[in-house]
Formats: sequence, structure tokens, C-alpha cells
Amino acid sequence: MLIHDLRLAVRSLRRNPVLSALMIGAIAVGIAASMISITLYHARAGHPIPWKDDKLFAVTLDTRDDEPPQSFERHPEYPPFQLTYQDARALYTSDIPQHSVMMFRSGQVLTPDNHGVKPFGVSTRVTTADFFTMFDVPFLYGSGWPRAQDDAPGAVVVLSRYMNEKIFGGANSVGRLVVLDGRSYRVVGVIASWMPRPKYYDLNGWEGWEIPEEVFIPFGWGRTLKMSPHGNTNCVRRSAKMDGPDSLYTQECVWLQYWVEVRNRAERDRYQAFVDNYTNEQRLHGRFPRKNNNRVVNVPTWLAMWDVVGEDSRMQLVLGFVFLAVCVLNTIGLMLAKFLAAAPISGLRRALGARRSDITRQHLIEVIVVGLAGGAVGMALTLGGLGGLKVLMFSGRLAHSHNPDRLVLIQSFFHMDIPVMLAAVGLSLLAGILAGLYPAYRIGHLAPATFLKTQ
Amino acid sequence: MIDMHNISKVFRTDVVQTHALRDLTLKVERGEFVAITGHSGSGKTTFLNVAGLLEELDSGRYTFDGQDVSRLTDNQRSGIRNEKIGFIFQGFNLIPDLNVYHNVEAPLHYRRMPGAERHRRVTAALDRVGLATRMKHIPAQLSGGQQQRVAIARAICGDPRVILADEPTGNLDTTMSEQIMQLLLEINAAGTTILMVTHNPELAQRVHRQLHIVDGQIDQIHHFKSVQPLPAVKTAAN
Repeated sequence: MLIHDLRLAVRSLRRNPVLSALMIGAIAVGIAASMISITLYHARAGHPIPWKDDKLFAVTLDTRDDEPPQSFERHPEYPPFQLTYQDARALYTSDIPQHSVMMFRSGQVLTPDNHGVKPFGVSTRVTTADFFTMFDVPFLYGSGWPRAQDDAPGAVVVLSRYMNEKIFGGANSVGRLVVLDGRSYRVVGVIASWMPRPKYYDLNGWEGWEIPEEVFIPFGWGRTLKMSPHGNTNCVRRSAKMDGPDSLYTQECVWLQYWVEVRNRAERDRYQAFVDNYTNEQRLHGRFPRKNNNRVVNVPTWLAMWDVVGEDSRMQLVLGFVFLAVCVLNTIGLMLAKFLAAAPISGLRRALGARRSDITRQHLIEVIVVGLAGGAVGMALTLGGLGGLKVLMFSGRLAHSHNPDRLVLIQSFFHMDIPVMLAAVGLSLLAGILAGLYPAYRIGHLAPATFLKTQ
Repeated sequence: MIDMHNISKVFRTDVVQTHALRDLTLKVERGEFVAITGHSGSGKTTFLNVAGLLEELDSGRYTFDGQDVSRLTDNQRSGIRNEKIGFIFQGFNLIPDLNVYHNVEAPLHYRRMPGAERHRRVTAALDRVGLATRMKHIPAQLSGGQQQRVAIARAICGDPRVILADEPTGNLDTTMSEQIMQLLLEINAAGTTILMVTHNPELAQRVHRQLHIVDGQIDQIHHFKSVQPLPAVKTAAN
């Protein structure tokens, strides 16, 4: 019976190709709009390190004047998302967390051994040693450096996989030398493929939608080499003055990212108390004029606070579904018109012995076929739409990047994975059924004799 | 076969009530061929729809093939229509995008009949109406007379107890009408009860009995010939 209904559905759709195409098109456009929204949202709403929700915490302190010279317009209710050097350094003395990291992003020029390759710029993370352990960075070769090499910095470097491939052809380069800004560093580790999405540990730049750095060196090099941060530097007190790289280490300006890893919830609470005590104590010395507003937050809270999955993404998602609903409503009208136009045939089938449920089921099969066809076309429109968006939004960004990881990152925004594809199939089925449920019910409950004379 | 007692059917709108059938009482014997005549709006088609369980009656009692069908559920009525009644309409009422074979096969699907049995019945029915060579044609490729023969094949392929024909020759010329009437007489001769609405007095006189309906009531009855006794009672299995 199901095959019979399926044949009837296909025949019925072919009987009125224009109307059928309109219905399939309406559902396809609705599916494409919602799937593009879902794909973009899904890519942005991913959780980069869910297994450390109760262990990994970003730390921020509200160092601002009552009227800071630089406003933090988006969320003035939160403390700035980075720390001053003196606060980071003070917090770093705490032995409550299992691990702590202070760090910033900078850039250097790498001079390859190979004389055929010109020196080129690389992105550098200047960080304390725990970075690799805390953020579960996987290593292809070697490892990070010990804490002892942070302050009196060791001439050691960790390379990204891409950088190791570029300068060492992907071989195990541990022990080899790399020249950065004219200084030689010994390779101690090579990172395997690693791309946290978003780059939650540093939200500078494109709201965290950046690739990890290409080289990593100990924190002490930052001051020694007077390296400037490639990210926001916000001075939070009127008295702060920036005149040269040393000011970063003396002035009330925030520029360092700071994270801790604790063993359990109790340790996190103890650490929060430690941070609050620290700012209370600092207030006695004229700092922290505001009430305590210190945050020790896990990754999901951190990403939500700073709108990494912004209100616009959520709005876009809602609009996608609203658009789909409008398309479904239009399809209901078209289906009703189509089914009523064919009502005499349904009346005839009833006269020949079809039950109401036979007629309703036959029409439901037809709307499922419409839904699936709409879903298939919608999927094609989605892929086309995502491809178009990628070109429109990122062609310039890709043209100026030598690092293939950036292409991987950008492609990940526009990639429909299996769950999203399954969602598309489910959604198109649902859309078809929603659009056809009432018309199918209505046609199944018409009196059989009504249309027999007009057939 | 058909036993109606004081049947009434009223169509209601917000402003008007139309009494389509008024206390109509009628018995039709098994194997009888009855012609129903009357002016337009007299209630002929409503009578046929009520007899074919396409319309519910408002009052009265209706016994069909020994079963009281006055107050059945919609599904029960569909089942009886499918298994015991064949319909023939003035406008043929074939499904335009199905070929002859599939048009005839349509009612058998609702009986959940296996494919091989459906095929046997469809080919036998088409053979009987002389259209075995036209199975792949769609209705638009056939003449009016051929289309009506397809409709007759569809009506008889389920082996019904009763055929209800609503002006089956109304859209046909004289020659075609004669062919169709001849076919109906043959089907009746084989034991199937037929009720036929017609405006053609000549055709109406070639059956066992003619009923003339006026204002939803039987006004006159003319007996032309008696029903010949049938050799055996048909069963659904036949």
C-alpha cells in the first residue's frame, strides 16, 4: 500500500508540475535559510574543551577607575577581559590552582636555515610553561618547557605542526635550532594538529575566531625582548601613561590573558576568595576603586560573557526558523489549493472504497515526498549559499594568509557535518508534514459524494 | 438485496432546507435491473448516493444484502462500497493520469488484495468489456464509449453484488449507448443487481422495473419483466 501511495504521490506531483515546483521551492528556500543559520550557529556554538568545564577558569579583575578613560562599551558590567602585569604577577604566586598561565600574543620574524627561503613573520605566543598542560595541547614530538625556564627565559621554542612542516619538512625537529628576531631557540616540542574553536584562551582579534599561534616561547622573553602584544591593550586608570614597551609592566593597563586550572569546585571557590582578598588588600593601597567584581569563570561562561556566540548569531538562528515557518505557511496554502483541485479524484476513490485514513495517508505520503524533495533542493541551496558566503566574507582574509590552518578554520564555519545534515533531513520532513497535515486531513474528511458530479 | 423503509434525506444550509428524499420505501430483489427516472432535481442522484452509502440518511431504515446499514461508521460504509457495490457515472470518472489497467485496479488496492489476484481480476474485467488490448492507454486516448466500458470494468472487477449507474449513457451517442446498455444487460444476466438512473425512456423500458421519482418520492412503478431465478447465491469468495 505504501508503494502504491508513493506512486500516486509522484503521479500527483507530476500532474501539476508548476504547483509542485512552487511547493518544493518554498520548502527548499525555508530549509536553506534555516540550515545556513544552523550551520553558522553550530560552528560558533561549539565547545572547545568540554571535559574541563569544572577545572579550567579564566580570571579577570575589575581594576578600572569609576570613569575609566577607555570605556568597555559592549559589557561595562564585566571587568576587562585581560589583566595588568602586576596583577597577573601577583596572582601567579598563588599555589591554590594546580596550574596557572599568564600570556600574550605577539609576532616575530623567523629566519630559516634554508638559504633559499626568505625570512617571514610568524605569530608568537609568549607564555608561561603550564599553557600546554592546561589547554590539553597535543604534541607530535617533544613537549613544552619546565616552569624554571619562564622568568629567566630559556632559549627554547615550541612549533606548531604547520611551522614544523614549513621549516623542517615535518621531521622530528626537537633539538634543532630556530632563529627568531635574530636569536636562536632550541626546539623542545612540536604540536600536533590542534585548533580549539573558538580560540577561547585569547579572545583578542576576531572575537576568538583565530588560529593558534605558530611558535611558543617562554614568558620572560616578552620583557627581555620588549615584545609588544598583538591584541588589545587598555589602560584602565586615568593615571596610566603608555610611553614605551616598559610601560606595559608598570602601568595600570590590561593586556595579559590569565587562566587557572583547579582540581575541583572547592578549590575554585578557594581561589575566588584568594582573588577577592587580593583586590581588598590592593584597595587599601589605593587601587581597585570599584567594589569587587572579580570573575573566575569556566569556558562556557567565558564565551557567553564575551558574546563569542553573539546575540546576532542567535537572532540569525531565530530569523532562519521564522523564515522557514513563513515558507511552511505558504506551502500549506499551496498544498490546500492543490489537494482541493484534486478533490474529485479523492471523492472518486472514496466511492471506490477508500477509507478516510487511506485518503489522508495517501496525501501525507505526498507531502512527505514534497518535504524530502524540498529538503534535497534546500540542501543544495544551503551548500551553494554557504559557499557564496565564504567567498563574500573571507576571500580577502584567505588571500593574505600563508597558513593553511586559517583555511581549515574558515572552512569549518561553513561545513555541514553529519548532525547538521541529519537536522536538515528531519527539518524538511517536519516542514513537509506540518505543511501538509491540515490539507491532508481536510481532504480525507470531505464527503465522498460532494465532488463526484464535478469530476 | 436492497430494502429501504421510509428513507429521508434533507440537505440544510443556513437559510434553506431541501428535502431530497421523503419517506421513500423500496425493495430491490437480488438480480433485478431497476431503472430510475425523474426530472432534474427530483432526487434520483441522492437516492443513488444513499443506496451506495455515499450519503448518510437522516431517517428510515436501510438494509443492504441482509445487513442493516442505516447507522454504520464511515469505515464500515467504505468497506461495503469497496466489496459489494460498483459505481458507474455519467462522466465516466476515470482518473486521468492513470492508464486503463490502473484505473480498473484502483478499488482492489483498498481491499488489500495481492498483486497477482488484482492482475487476474483486472485482465478478466477488461477482457469482458472488450478492452484487453487497451490496458496501457490513458483515458484521454479513448472514445467516450471506451471510457465508459473502462468504468464498467472497474465496477465489475471487484465482483460486486450491486452496480449503481448514474446516467451511464448520458454522455454517449446512440450507438455507444446501445453498446453500454447491452453490456449492462449481460452483467445483470450474470446475476448482478443493477440500479440505473436514466433520462432515456427507451432504455428504461428494457429492464425489469422502472421507478419514477418525483420530489424525493416514488411516484410510479412500471414492471416490464420478471427476474429470472439465479442458479446459486453468490458469495464474496466468488
